[in-house]
Amino acid sequence: MTALLDIANYSLAYRTRGTETTVLSAIDLAVGEGEVLGLVGESGSGKSSLAWAIMRALPSNAREDGGTIRLRGDDLRAMGPAKLLEVRGGRIGMVFQDPATSLNPTLTLGRQIVEVLKQHRGMGRAEAHREAVEALRRVELRDPEALMARYPHEASGGEKQRVGIATAFACRPELVIFDEPTTALDVITGNRILELFRRLRDETGVGGLYISHDLALVQKVADRVAVLDRGHIVEQGDARRIFTAPQADYTKRLVAAVPTPEHRLVDDQPAGGEPLLTAEDIAVTYGRKRLFRDKRVAGNRGISLSIGKGEILGLVGESGSGKSTLAKAITGINRFTGRILYDGRWVEHERQMDRQYRAGIQIVFQHPDASLNPRQTIGEILQRPLRLYGGDVKDVPKLLEQVRLPADFARRYPHQLSGGQKQRVAIARAFAARPRLVICDEITAPLDVSVQASIIELLLELRRAHGTAYMFITHDLNLVRQIAHRLAVIRGGELVDLLNAEDVGAASTHPYTRELMAASSSLVSNG
Amino acid sequence: MSLSWFLKRLALIVYTLLIVSVVVFGITQVLPGDAAQSVLGENATPAALAALRVKLGLDQPVLVQFAHWLGGVLHGDFGTSIRTGQPVGPMMFTALGRSLILTVLSLALMLVIAVPLGILAALRRGRAADVGVGLISYLGVSVPEFVTATVLLIVLADWLQLLPATGYVPLAEHPIEGLKHLVLPVLTVSLVLVAHVSRMVRSEMVDVLHSDYVRAARLKGLPERVVLVRHALRNALIPVVTIVALDVGYVLGGIIVVEEIFALPGIGRQLIVAIESRDLPAIQAGALIMAATYAVANLIADMVCALLDRRIQYD
Repeated sequence: MTALLDIANYSLAYRTRGTETTVLSAIDLAVGEGEVLGLVGESGSGKSSLAWAIMRALPSNAREDGGTIRLRGDDLRAMGPAKLLEVRGGRIGMVFQDPATSLNPTLTLGRQIVEVLKQHRGMGRAEAHREAVEALRRVELRDPEALMARYPHEASGGEKQRVGIATAFACRPELVIFDEPTTALDVITGNRILELFRRLRDETGVGGLYISHDLALVQKVADRVAVLDRGHIVEQGDARRIFTAPQADYTKRLVAAVPTPEHRLVDDQPAGGEPLLTAEDIAVTYGRKRLFRDKRVAGNRGISLSIGKGEILGLVGESGSGKSTLAKAITGINRFTGRILYDGRWVEHERQMDRQYRAGIQIVFQHPDASLNPRQTIGEILQRPLRLYGGDVKDVPKLLEQVRLPADFARRYPHQLSGGQKQRVAIARAFAARPRLVICDEITAPLDVSVQASIIELLLELRRAHGTAYMFITHDLNLVRQIAHRLAVIRGGELVDLLNAEDVGAASTHPYTRELMAASSSLVSNG
Repeated sequence: MSLSWFLKRLALIVYTLLIVSVVVFGITQVLPGDAAQSVLGENATPAALAALRVKLGLDQPVLVQFAHWLGGVLHGDFGTSIRTGQPVGPMMFTALGRSLILTVLSLALMLVIAVPLGILAALRRGRAADVGVGLISYLGVSVPEFVTATVLLIVLADWLQLLPATGYVPLAEHPIEGLKHLVLPVLTVSLVLVAHVSRMVRSEMVDVLHSDYVRAARLKGLPERVVLVRHALRNALIPVVTIVALDVGYVLGGIIVVEEIFALPGIGRQLIVAIESRDLPAIQAGALIMAATYAVANLIADMVCALLDRRIQYD
């Protein structure tokens, strides 16, 4: 019996400025009928290139070095353009990573699914419209008829990804490729998307190739898993087996790096005594009052919490819940009402935040690409806070050493560094001010699991050396439960739960906290 | 796009025009010599000048003169031309009509040439076609319009004798003759504009072609033509619309040279004549009408952008 998708001895390289980089070497991969194969790899492993190779949509500098890609025996590499149009979107459906950017902002959601039905199933306008409404209903979207007329910006992230899935399944494909479909969504929304996928798979019996960097998540959806490391498949086999008894060294490292709440990385308790910072009744509103209509939106409402000296407070919630809004209020980036007690002084307005306050409370942002000035060298970036907060500009090498970067990085520019290295620079910049509290706003979200683990390790090391407190903002409950002393759960701008990390799951836990926990994908524990 | 936005924009235009009218009126006040002087010439007797000033209302305080002028404008009366003795309004509006025909035709022809060129260059990025389009563009930008006009004039009108060299024939009276007379100016203006618009289309297309949604459209199995037109071009054109609106202002006011060369009595040419002869009412009317047209063109551009991209919400 031939496999649904059969890739044999396939190699691929990219050519840039005369040099050739191998991206995939001698890949052997098969997806059986009705099977879901998880393809796991970190960024740069070549997993997206493989998806493009299957879809025959490789960039122009790609060079294929032999091998075959067959869909039910048909050689995709040998197909002409007309045949390929039938394969793309027809025989192979694809769900993309970020629903916010993969849908055309200027076309209605309905039109973007109707066009596929017209193209692949030869439907007329009215028939395609009816079928599209049905397709949207099948992915559990409410009021699909109304959704058809809406534009992408008028739908939520979860709704958009459902439209993407409906589109991928609309033409009854033989195979569906999922390219990190939940990465851009928050935990709860992502989890619902996974449930939907499992249901659709049971109903349609479609085969799937599920690409992700998240092992725990892949384990939930895949029958078999292939692990990709720098273009090589290092291990392939039953999904459960891969995670419980990994064979290859690389897989072992990957599995070990996945955060599990049972495995605590912090075992001390904060010093106690007077809290380092107390926030009382913090509220933030966005937008402004207009002449005729009040367009203000509440970002935060009545949030009161405190952080002890050397404490790690985890701040968790879905995207848009107001986590970053609170962080920006405390650092004085957002205008707020309410008051903050720091160092024996009440602050009621961002203008009252003096140099001492601003030095004491530092923030590290999610995307180092956006928070590091691309035109400044690392040295210049680090000298700024040193100068501003009375440090010695000659301390740049020390700062770099603290975050385990070589001293000669001071001469480099941000684009010459990897994502993890850039985030280390951002951390060094925060520590240049000798802060007592560092707010980490989703700082590990864009990083691979192994890099994420090393950044966490670094933060804990710095805390041991300086006694720094952290406010750790994340949507990854498993990760934060490893390190936080207390968890603050925020939803719709309000604080719904504040509990000790070890009390998670206790009777007093708020139902919403339970829902978040249930949605967080966690590896099945060994044995 | 709401009605309240539209009304607000209209109010803003009125406000803008009010400021323009103050500036225009103010400048004609500080120019040396006044209307009476320019009518009677340098050898006029002081008595005759004084008499005419009283007749023209020039002896009144400036504010009274301004109020009087503005009141007239609001009633559609832009005053009487000192040069011809005719009402200024009809004279300027006729000229504006001719200029608008030139503008609309030029912009239309320009888009027909520039958009496909831009798309071609974006698709063939870094290859011969792209370099060729780029070269033509830079040539178009750097060659002054009077050179383009002269070359076209020599080739099409003189050597090939295909078209009349200069002059204007009203379209309503002789459609074919009128169009023939318009070909050269329209061609000149659109060639000048093709350059930067095609560059703009190119760079926008390059960006859009790299976007996730265009890749998604391709991977949905849509034919390349649909991907390019429906998914890419629509998004690439949004910033171009704004640029084209700015060009309206340029074509109306900036191509006096072209109007001069082809003896096309548009509003630019009328304004030059008015300035030369110190015809103050005509200068004021011309400047105000141009500003109004420009403001309306920008309003239309904003509305087109909002239609193309529903994310743009005016309120």
